[in-house]
Amino acid sequence: MKLEDFGMDTITLAGPIEAKLRAVREAGFTQIMLSARDLVGHPDGEAAAIRAVLASGLRVSGLQVLRDFEGLSGQLHDYKVDVAKSMLEMARAVRAPLLLVCSTTSAHAVGDFDKQVADLRKLAMLAVPLGIRIAFEGLSWGRFVDDVAGAWALVSAADRANLGLALDSFHMLARESPLEVLDEIDPAKLFFVQLSDFMWSAPDTAEERRETARHLRVFPGEGAHSVAVADLIRAIDRLGYEGDYSFEVFNDDYVQMQLTRVTARAMRSVHWITGHVSRRSLPVRRASMHR
Amino acid sequence: MVQENLPLPSNPLGMIGVEFVEYTTREPLALGSLLRQMGFHEVARHRSREVLLFRQGDMNIIVNGHPDAVRETTRGTAPAIGAVAFRVRDAAFAHRRALELGAWDMPTRAAAMELHIPGVHGAGDSLVYFVDRVEEFSIYDVDFIWNEGVARHPPALGGLHWFGLVQSVYPDRTADWIDFYRTLFGFDALDAGHFVGVLPKGTLLRAPCGSFYLQLVEPPAGADFVDWDEQLLRVGIGTPDVLAAVRDLQARGIVFVDRAPLRPSDKGALTQMYFGTVCFELVHDDGRPPA
Repeated sequence: MKLEDFGMDTITLAGPIEAKLRAVREAGFTQIMLSARDLVGHPDGEAAAIRAVLASGLRVSGLQVLRDFEGLSGQLHDYKVDVAKSMLEMARAVRAPLLLVCSTTSAHAVGDFDKQVADLRKLAMLAVPLGIRIAFEGLSWGRFVDDVAGAWALVSAADRANLGLALDSFHMLARESPLEVLDEIDPAKLFFVQLSDFMWSAPDTAEERRETARHLRVFPGEGAHSVAVADLIRAIDRLGYEGDYSFEVFNDDYVQMQLTRVTARAMRSVHWITGHVSRRSLPVRRASMHR
Repeated sequence: MVQENLPLPSNPLGMIGVEFVEYTTREPLALGSLLRQMGFHEVARHRSREVLLFRQGDMNIIVNGHPDAVRETTRGTAPAIGAVAFRVRDAAFAHRRALELGAWDMPTRAAAMELHIPGVHGAGDSLVYFVDRVEEFSIYDVDFIWNEGVARHPPALGGLHWFGLVQSVYPDRTADWIDFYRTLFGFDALDAGHFVGVLPKGTLLRAPCGSFYLQLVEPPAGADFVDWDEQLLRVGIGTPDVLAAVRDLQARGIVFVDRAPLRPSDKGALTQMYFGTVCFELVHDDGRPPA
């Protein structure tokens, strides 16, 4: 594992997109995961934000996040298809190869498996002409899909080449998902990995998980589950995953700190991970110690 | 990525081949002159736009010189394949079904003709149209004026007929496009190693009517593909006797690539590139099987 494998999410940093891009690049990162809000919220308009991204020298690893897409019908479905198209167009504009999609939390969605599969297939189809991959993530407070196994069930049933899975260490830690769930996943269908930790034990309720996830995450190495995070990254690496890792650290404190301080913490986390995980591939038998 | 051949209705749209291929160009006269050399006859012109209909046998080519169309579908001033129109049982049904499955509707600009031919986005800037009513009443009757003294149905030179289209795709995108053509139109990917013509590469998809093929081609490994875009590259034209057709066309001034391994053979032949973007591939094919 090397520095180039890791990127930051813009949601971890305060300020305008230009400042975020500069801080991330100056910290030594080469890739960035963008939030659509960074683009459309730019004071000079979306085109200015897109120009800033393309001129940044950073590789865009993806765009987030499409929410509550699957399981809707009628007008709500049509509305979400329009939202999806808008995000796909933005993804193409910033040369993001991937759109992150979270499992639905909507009270209006239905849990019918076949309907959700059909909706994910439709989303994947919308993304084909634009050359974008869809990475579907199970939110730990999702209404029907709230873990990796559930997300993988939908992705594998949908069986579309440009539809894969996004793993987020937060949700796995929050649900205390066993690593064995990774054994079920086709490694080629793992499209994206997001990393973070938090500072206490697994929250009991979906509501607590959501609050923690949105306000109180920290970088790997800073939280209460360092061993588990390292084990998870090691397990993902062992699958043969060669894609991007991005720090998705929603933290209310980090968005009121100097950007350089936050990016320094992110870089420290990279070193923590590579220090703990980079030796993984030498003695392969280490794997069994964690099973 | 592994592709499963999931069961599909064998021909969900009742496709029975290709109604027309549209080229967009700023220089319709120059392209028209090339088409004449290829054995096409200019049989009609649009009432109000710079749009020409060329035909031989069952092949229709629309040459669209309307400035709006050219701006949308070509890079620079070079001619490009702007659209392909599939003959289907019910165009409105085919269009509706495609949108439900996640196709992007075509832009609201007037189509190749001002008739409201429904269509969806295809590769790059190209469109895929759906045309029905091919029997009782032609789509050209409304907005085109038939040229005086010219047969409306000139016979094809040397049994030439539509065989297929070649589409370039970005690296590792073949599976995405297989999903696209299979889901929306019922195309079927042939086993790897199944090739036709002179360029044994890429992946061949067969239309559900069995009379038409799409060849998806990724850039050659290690090639510099800076200029490689996803687009419809060229048409394939079937003929029962490639070498005889080559001789006929050479006599009309068409130049074929004559260096190994592309030298004309009884399997196929490739014309030189005209205008930097247009060439034609002849493929040995005895003719369309019953639809």
